Amino acid sequence: MGLEGTRLPTVRHWSITTRLTFLYGIYAFALLALASNIVYWSMLSNIQTVEWKFLTNKVFIFRTILAEHAADSGTLKQEVEWEKIPPHSGQYYAYYSRISDLSKKVILQTPGFDEALTNVVFPQPVRGDVDESSIERWKSVEGKSYLLISAWSKESKNRATDKTIDVALDVTQEDILVDQYERQMAVVLIIGLMLAVSLGYVVARRGMRPLTEIAQAAEHITASQLHERIDPERWPKELALLAGAFDRMLDRLEESFTRLSRFSADLAHEIRTPINNLMGEAEVTLSKPRTTEEYRQTLESSLEEFQRLSHMIKSLLFIARAEESTKVVKRTWLSVHKELESVRDFHSAVAEEKGISLRCECEARLWADQTLFRLAVSNLLANALQYTPSGGRIVVVVTQTAKGGVVINMSDSGCGIEPEDMKRVFDRFYRTRNARSDYPMGAGLGLAIVKSIMKMHGGKASVFSVPGHGTTFTLHFPPCSEGP
Amino acid sequence: MMRILIIEDEKKTASFLHKGLTESGFVVERSGNGEDGLFLASTEQFDVIILDIMLPRLDGWSVLEALRYRHIETPVLFLTACDLVDDRVKGLELGADDYLVKPFAFAELLARVRTLLRRNPERQLSITHIEDLKIDPVRHRAERGGKRLNLRPKEFALLLLFVRRAGEVLTRTLIAEQVWDMNFDSDTNVVDVTVRRLRSKVDDPFEKKLIRTIRGVGYVMEEG
Repeated sequence: MGLEGTRLPTVRHWSITTRLTFLYGIYAFALLALASNIVYWSMLSNIQTVEWKFLTNKVFIFRTILAEHAADSGTLKQEVEWEKIPPHSGQYYAYYSRISDLSKKVILQTPGFDEALTNVVFPQPVRGDVDESSIERWKSVEGKSYLLISAWSKESKNRATDKTIDVALDVTQEDILVDQYERQMAVVLIIGLMLAVSLGYVVARRGMRPLTEIAQAAEHITASQLHERIDPERWPKELALLAGAFDRMLDRLEESFTRLSRFSADLAHEIRTPINNLMGEAEVTLSKPRTTEEYRQTLESSLEEFQRLSHMIKSLLFIARAEESTKVVKRTWLSVHKELESVRDFHSAVAEEKGISLRCECEARLWADQTLFRLAVSNLLANALQYTPSGGRIVVVVTQTAKGGVVINMSDSGCGIEPEDMKRVFDRFYRTRNARSDYPMGAGLGLAIVKSIMKMHGGKASVFSVPGHGTTFTLHFPPCSEGP
Repeated sequence: MMRILIIEDEKKTASFLHKGLTESGFVVERSGNGEDGLFLASTEQFDVIILDIMLPRLDGWSVLEALRYRHIETPVLFLTACDLVDDRVKGLELGADDYLVKPFAFAELLARVRTLLRRNPERQLSITHIEDLKIDPVRHRAERGGKRLNLRPKEFALLLLFVRRAGEVLTRTLIAEQVWDMNFDSDTNVVDVTVRRLRSKVDDPFEKKLIRTIRGVGYVMEEG
């Protein structure tokens, strides 16, 4: 079994939890930042719109008063000296205005104008319509913020009576509000980021918990509890696939494991019998003086047991080597007919004694190891001869498949194999109950060797049987990928 | 007198080889490690060297290499506990003449040693008769006591093998190899059945039996 196998490259990455936490954090923070920015900008633009509207509106009012009520200095005065107006009517804004003539002489200005707006420089007065582009921002010495606008009164017939209108709006409160909002936003964002990261971590951990649990479940399974399963039903959909694959791997492992432990037990048993014979015979022989002939017989009997053991060891080693696949297969082109004839010839004495007819019909070319091929067919034939009663028949049919591939069917008219035995006949030491009682001398390795040989050739051996009507063994040699 | 050198550190193995080969008529020298073995092999004259691979001080491969380097071409039979193909190939490439995988039957070893000896100064076995059994290899005929034996081709081949190797114990593996060209151990009773059929024609009708069973080993053809 290829346990030395392939390990996946071990590149150490971040843990999934870290990655998820990181991603959650980034996303949550980005969303939070986006939302608060949208609110911020819309608030800012609302405030500005209101401020701009106020200023342009003031300019419009002054222009109107100057143009249409030039004589009515009271209205103008009232408008300029707004302080005189009782604080009502939703007047939020503190503003200063000044009306001056062409020679820059101040005609009228809000009381406290010069104190509040020391050294102020208004932008160039605008002649036409005023809009937000004519507004400038200015900071006073006291640190207050103002929005400034300057405009000409509506054009008169002779320009000599033109006046400049300067309006300054105190927006300090609004700026403080915006500043405050910015600070709060920063705090909210920092807290939000921390919350996002820690919640993200919790979510990631929660999300990953099934993985940890599945690992624990897997951890639980040891060699002695190979029958336990993870059960795909128990897990979320994403893990069910993994659990299923894992369970199937366990199935295969358990099967191999069972085979292996059964093999060890069988091996111990198979060795025990000859050892027992050897010990017993030697002990009994030595228990009292005996004739040379008796000693000879004991030794001869021992030799037979040793032969059995020796043969068993050789067979087992052969199979083990085949599984390690260190055994070199020396392939040549074989005439299947010729090879089958020589194997048949080898077994013909036994076949004749039992009155079993051997027939092979075929001609095919096969790219395989001659000795191994003969051994495989010989083992199959020996097996068939053993389980076919006198007067039976054995038929070998060979089919050539593409490019050196061959299928060999060997059918006998023997007792057949029970379905429950069929799966295991190729196992080492496996013998059906009939075989055990009728032919106690066999070791049960012949078919295992056949299987190994087929494996070495990249093919496989299979069996089909109807109990009472005979058995068909099939050797599949795949088309050759190498060679001429 | 054929001289054989055994270089083997396993005492029991060396001991039974020594005993068996001596009783088969060889003069045997023993060495328990590679260095002494190499020294003996290069200073004295031997006809065959039986060489174990796993040896203390100097392993079998090195011994063989050193021997061939000194142009000592004594036939070497390797004994190995592992039949990895690489080992065999390595041994044969270094100039070993044959190898045996443990566990082996002593008869098998004896046969191989005899083959090596025969191979050296080519000694064609031309014996074609034993007692009153006569064989004509060319015409594929055999007769005993003047009566022609009705043998099948493989039975004849088997009889020829027995006669040519008269006095040698032939294992089932060797018989399968020589008669049927089946180069593997088989746990079938094919050889026994064939030998029995041959006996029914060669021995059963006559009082003097030529083919003898050596239990647990194989068969041998001997003159009374």
